[in-house]
Amino acid sequence: MKAIVAVPVTATSMFGQTTTAPSGEKTSAPQTSSTSTVPPADTAPRSIDQRGSFGFQSPVIPATVPDAIATTEGHFFDARQMATLRKLGDILLPPLDGYPGSAQASAPEFIDFLISVSPAERQHMYRSGLDQLNADAEKRFAVPFADVNAEQADALLRPWLRVWMRDHPPAEPFAQFINLAHEDIRTATMNSQIWSIAATSAGERAPGIGLYWSPIDPDIEMYV
Amino acid sequence: MTEAQADVLIIGSGHSGGMVAKVLTEKGISCLMLNAGPIVDFQKDRELKPAYELPYRGFKMPGRLEHVFQATEFNANTWVDEKEVPYTYDQGNPYNWVRVRLFGGRSLFWSRQSFRLSDYEFKAKDHDGFGDNWPISLADLAPYYSRVEEIFRVSGHPDGLPQYPDGNFVVNDSPWSGSMQRFIAAGKKLNVPVCKPRSAMGRDGLASSINLLLPDAIATGKFTAVPNVVVRQITMDKNTGRANGALFVDRHSRREMSVNARVVILAAGCLESTRLLLNSGLANSSGVLGHYLIDNVYGPGVVCSVPEARDGKATPDLMGGGALIPRFRNINTKAKNFIRGYALNVSSSTRPMDPRNFAAYGADLQKKLDSYEGSGFSMGMMGEVLSHYEHYVSIDKNVVDAWDIPVLHVETSYTDNEFNMARDAVDTGVAMAEAAGFEVLSRNYDPNPPGYSIHELGTCRMGDNPKTSVLNKWNQSHDIKNLYVVDGSSFVSSGWQNPTMTILALSMRAAEHLAEQMRQGNV
Repeated sequence: MKAIVAVPVTATSMFGQTTTAPSGEKTSAPQTSSTSTVPPADTAPRSIDQRGSFGFQSPVIPATVPDAIATTEGHFFDARQMATLRKLGDILLPPLDGYPGSAQASAPEFIDFLISVSPAERQHMYRSGLDQLNADAEKRFAVPFADVNAEQADALLRPWLRVWMRDHPPAEPFAQFINLAHEDIRTATMNSQIWSIAATSAGERAPGIGLYWSPIDPDIEMYV
Repeated sequence: MTEAQADVLIIGSGHSGGMVAKVLTEKGISCLMLNAGPIVDFQKDRELKPAYELPYRGFKMPGRLEHVFQATEFNANTWVDEKEVPYTYDQGNPYNWVRVRLFGGRSLFWSRQSFRLSDYEFKAKDHDGFGDNWPISLADLAPYYSRVEEIFRVSGHPDGLPQYPDGNFVVNDSPWSGSMQRFIAAGKKLNVPVCKPRSAMGRDGLASSINLLLPDAIATGKFTAVPNVVVRQITMDKNTGRANGALFVDRHSRREMSVNARVVILAAGCLESTRLLLNSGLANSSGVLGHYLIDNVYGPGVVCSVPEARDGKATPDLMGGGALIPRFRNINTKAKNFIRGYALNVSSSTRPMDPRNFAAYGADLQKKLDSYEGSGFSMGMMGEVLSHYEHYVSIDKNVVDAWDIPVLHVETSYTDNEFNMARDAVDTGVAMAEAAGFEVLSRNYDPNPPGYSIHELGTCRMGDNPKTSVLNKWNQSHDIKNLYVVDGSSFVSSGWQNPTMTILALSMRAAEHLAEQMRQGNV
């Protein structure tokens, strides 16, 4: 397909070329083609790009990413859960040493989006985890988790922090939530554009740069 | 169409397909290679990007590639999507089938660890009575290993250990860092050998079929490849009882086509080759096709810190470099609750530490990360998985892939031998680290799901007895003389070793055998 698009043939030359000439030998198009009374377009294959744009060079458009100019409209967590998640982000990854924290990188809002499109199991882990965290705060300190102070937050979170290895998160549901949410908050924050800008201005190598593979010759109808 | 389009039809373009194409075309035999996916353009298809420009900010796209733990948002497009080519398994026994259909297959992305099997693997039954011996020994394969190691430029150090056979190395005489010297000394106390790793350097940053093998085939003028065609079935000549070609589907248009050849070689990757044979109803007079699925246990490991390297004091003399602990259990002594053995990959790192190693958050975590940066020392297990008839793949008649081809059902799990081995590997790693004076930060005893190592092997195993094996010792079907299977499916036992060098040596040997059979007119 790509070869057809790239070859600058016109409809006339393509339709006229019904036989292949040996290289170096000049032949004229067969008479039948140019004198036919039947319009060739009805029977002959069409050239795909007839619009004369082959030589066109794209201009450089001053593009930016949506995060640079907009905020994520969350719709998955309810207001209480979102407030709990925002507070959790502030506690686990506050702004440090000139780098943005969870809130500045809009990590909670991004996670709302991410979990909204995640499998049901992950959605359940987040919702029940946030609910339990808030319930624990209400029970121990008579305030929502969103309103706990640093000392109270530490009392609620520290017992659940674990050391663990990639692909092997803690098995207990609440510990799993706390530790995976911690990882997600860090990733969403450190992979943000605002973090990258902070790293660059600090003269450090921005994290989150990788070798990206484009879709390669994708199937026309995937997942039939 | 009855005229053969090529002498030999090769299905698959990875290490094994590339090797047979090289060997056969260099002997004047024409080869036609079919590959299920597209040809990669390393310049056009890849670019450096920051995560924030990607749709999911560097998170793996939710719900996609769930069994490919290696997948990231950056490399997601290089793996086979399970929705396009599904497979089934029982809910309690998940399997990670990690596939690449790009031209060159998984040879584009492998980790390059390059080991020979030893006679502790080829003749394993002689040592502990379990399973079956291979029909070949190291002596049979050694000359081929040497030639493969030369092509792949394997860096290594000769150690003279029978369980870690030396090879044709680009000799690595680099000095050990201080942390490694301490680890080696700790190993001596515990009778655990610590050796230099062995790794294919390849050329120009790549050690794959497409840059080390296929260029030689292309240069002969005898090689043609067709990308983007998905083979559905091997076809047979009813009169002769020989294979005569294949039916395939155009990946994009789904047009069905057939092609003829004098010889058919399956090199589609262990489970895809077996799936093709099962779907074709061929080469299974033994009844063991699909059985004895094995791989390597990965996942268990230990993460430590070298105290003297903390707080900015790491130096290149103290930190850095890798090592390999080859199998040492059940060589001269007998482990109490498992047979066979495992290796440990060892790495001394000057990089930042993974925050998962600290039960901390916020400023406290950052302080720890700063303090520990450059002091990391880790070990990861690679263990043998025992071969059982009950661990098998079969065709799931109720599910088809995007080309209407019935898919595989995978039925396997690890057993006590693997779990006990994993426990021993981690405990040994911890004991060595502590003897070396390192701080152990994290340990994991739980294996990753079967398949994770991307070393699926067996299901089409070789042997001298046609009643208990699918292939003979030349990777040739017992039932159909002009049908060869050259990928990892021929393995009788897995060993702990990365199987790539063995797959390459076996496919080189099989191709030379085939060429000779063709010359003599037997095939």
